[in-house]
Order: sequence, then structure tokens, then C-alpha cells
Amino acid sequence: MKKYTLAILLCGVIANAGNFSPSMQGYIAALKSEAKQADSSFVDFNAKRGEKIFTTKHIGKSGDSISCTSCHGSNLTKNGQNPTTNKIIKPLGPSVNKSRLTDIKEVQKWLRRNFKDVYNREGTALEKGDVLYYIQSK
Amino acid sequence: MYKKIIIPLILISGVYADDDRWGNRNDVAPVKNAIYIKECGSCHFAYQPGLLPQRSWTKMMGNLENHFDSDASLDDATTKYLANYLKANSAEKGIEYKRSRKILQSIRPNEVPLRITQTRYFINKHDEIPKKMIIQKEVGSLANCTACHTTANKGNYSERAIKIPNYRAWKDD
Ligand code: HEC
Ligand code: HEC
Ligand code: HEC
Repeated sequence: MKKYTLAILLCGVIANAGNFSPSMQGYIAALKSEAKQADSSFVDFNAKRGEKIFTTKHIGKSGDSISCTSCHGSNLTKNGQNPTTNKIIKPLGPSVNKSRLTDIKEVQKWLRRNFKDVYNREGTALEKGDVLYYIQSK
Repeated sequence: MYKKIIIPLILISGVYADDDRWGNRNDVAPVKNAIYIKECGSCHFAYQPGLLPQRSWTKMMGNLENHFDSDASLDDATTKYLANYLKANSAEKGIEYKRSRKILQSIRPNEVPLRITQTRYFINKHDEIPKKMIIQKEVGSLANCTACHTTANKGNYSERAIKIPNYRAWKDD
């Protein structure tokens, strides 16, 4: 009983941003301190800003106007599809796809690639944190 | 209960017999490497290394940041590992497989194609397919091998196993 309460308390303290998997929490913390360093007024990431990053179109690497939703769709609990190769992409939303946002290396790899595909540059710590809050909320 | 288990077992051993014991090597060596399937099969079908020569793979692995207008970059260790895997399994290394041999023979020594779909052997085999069968949404482009070749992931491209979505079975003539 006591253990239980403690666990709940701890969860509340560490993860004021939904419930990232334990392995991801370290990454989120690192992004936070990076964001704070870039801007001392930084308080926390924000899923609403993340949604904007996720859905805004931009001329990407291929020269076409695309957004994150071009491959992942706008409903993150459903399959997406790569428009160039036609390959189906399983849902990004952790609520329906438990393996999402659990492996830091995977997450870092795809954020690096996908920001370049859409925005032609890597994401900042703030952008990455915001977009991860958004995905985690789905 | 027992029947359910025995039938798939017979089927599986049949497949292996076809490949190995009878020396029937018409296609390309299938991919068995899990890292390759994970990393090179996330955006598209994990093309068999035996579909291109070594020099093509080496060139491709040297610039994964700019991979057909998309960023496919990997950390250095994984890049190196996969470059070695591709080298060790390129068309030259699978010369006993008919498709690897034919693709290789269709590429001039000074050419370094990055697309399987632009090798002469591939073009000759696919130039009679009406465009409407390719651009339909179930296929998209000729690079989508698995849309038509139902056994492509086993390295088997035989005509018997071709099924173009929304069209009847393919017959040569
Ligand atoms: C060109 C297609 C494409 C675009 C555009 C794209 N993604 Fe992805 N993304 C993928 C593919 C493919 C995967 C890996 C698929 C899989 O694991 O099933 C992936 C995986 C991810 C993952 C990893 C999730 C995990 O834990 O497994 C994240 C996070 C992600 N994308 C975020 C984004 C964001 C943010 C954007 C916009 C900046 C974006 N993606 C745009 C294709 C795309
Ligand atoms: C981030 C997504 C992504 C990843 C990861 C990726 N590719 Fe690709 N690949 C593409 C796209 C997009 C194309 C172009 C498809 C088209 O034009 O239809 C392509 C095309 C190819 C082609 C040419 C297909 C043809 O037309 O004959 C080959 C070969 C290829 N990739 C090999 C690889 C290998 C090997 C790896 C692993 C090291 C890899 N790819 C990883 C996105 C990716
Ligand atoms: C639109 C459907 C379609 C797609 C996509 C496609 N093929 Fe084919 N492929 C065919 C058809 C149809 C033939 C038979 C041509 C003929 O009549 O000989 C063929 C023939 C072949 C053959 C020769 C088989 C034989 O028995 O002679 C090979 C090898 C092959 N394809 C490999 C590939 C590879 C590798 C890819 C992906 C890079 C691919 N194909 C994509 C439809 C397709």
C-alpha cells in the first residue's frame, strides 16, 4: 500500500508530461536542460506547440511541400503511409502502439531524419521536446 | 490439433528443399539479417543485396543523408556494419543465382546504378507493363516490388508468383 502511494507520487513528480517510459525520461530531461540553456525563460515543453510543428507544411528535402502528417497521417492512432514508397507506417501514438517512444536511439534517429526531410535542418531541443509531448499525448 | 502443426511443417521443408537440396537457384539470395531488415526495410521493402553490384552499395552507403531525396542516415557503427553486409552479399557474391547474374551482366563496367529499377535487366523485364497498373495507388512505382511479386521477400520473383493488384494473373503473351 505504502509502496503504491510512493510510486504514484514519484510518477507525478518526474513525469509532469504525460507518462513517458522510464528510458525516455532521461532524454526528456536532457532536452529540457538544453532548452533552458538556449532560453532561460523556458519552463516546460508544450503539446500544443508540438502539434503545430507536426502539422505545418514546409518545403522539405525533396523539394515538395510536406509535413510530418504526410507520412504519419493526422490521426496518430491510425496507420500512416509513406507517399513515395507506399509503405504502411504503424501508428505513432503510444496509446495504440506500445513500442513507440520507448527506445531513445530509435527516437533520436527518426527525429534527426524526419526533421531534415520536412524542415531541411535538425530540430532544436525545444522543437523536439514539444513534438514528443504531442506524440506522447496520442 | 496435430494436423494443424504438421501441414505447415511440410510446407516449410518443401521450400527449403526447393532452394538448397535441388540446387534450384533461379532468384536471388533471400535476406536473413535482422539488422538489415530493420534498418533498410523501414521505408520500403528490404531489397536483396544480390540485386545490385558491390560498387553500387558502396556508393549508396557513402551518402545515406541524401538517399533518394530523403535522409536515411545511421550512426557510424551501423553504417559500417550494413556496408559490410551489403558487400558480402552483393550480386557478385551470389553469381549462382540467376537474377543476380543477369542483373550484373546487364550493367556496363563503368556504370554505378543506385536503382535496381534502372538496370537494363530490370527495365527489359518490366517495360511491357502498362503504366496504369504501376501508378495505381496499391503499387505507386516499380520500386515497390512486393506490391506485384507476392514472394519477393523470399527472394523469389518467378512469374507464377506475380499478382498485379486489381488485374488478373500476369501472363507473358
Ligand atoms: C517521409 C516520411 C516521414 C515523414 C515526413 C516523417 N516521418 Fe517520422 N517516421 C517515418 C518512418 C518510416 C518511421 C519509422 C517507422 C516505423 O518504425 O514503423 C518514423 C518514425 C518516427 C518516430 C519514431 C517513433 C518510435 O518511437 O518508434 C518519430 C518520433 C517520428 N517519426 C516523428 C516524426 C516527426 C516529428 C516528423 C516531422 C518533423 C516526422 N516524423 C515526419 C517516416 C516519416
Ligand atoms: C528514411 C527512409 C529510407 C531508409 C531508412 C532507407 N531508404 Fe532506400 N529509399 C528510400 C526512398 C524514399 C527511395 C526512393 C523510392 C522511390 O523512388 O520509389 C529509396 C530507394 C532505394 C533503392 C532504389 C530502389 C529502386 O528504384 O530500384 C535502394 C536500392 C535502396 N533504397 C536501398 C536502401 C538501403 C540498402 C537502405 C539501408 C541502408 C535503405 N534503402 C534505407 C528511403 C529510405
Ligand atoms: C507493377 C508490378 C511490378 C512491380 C512493382 C515489380 N515487378 Fe518485377 N515483374 C512484374 C511482371 C509483370 C514481370 C513479368 C514480366 C514478363 O512478362 O516477363 C516481372 C518480372 C520480374 C523479374 C523476372 C522474372 C522472370 O521470371 O523472368 C524479376 C527478377 C523482377 N520482376 C524483379 C522485380 C524487383 C526486384 C522489383 C522491385 C525493385 C519488381 N520486380 C517490381 C511486375 C512487377
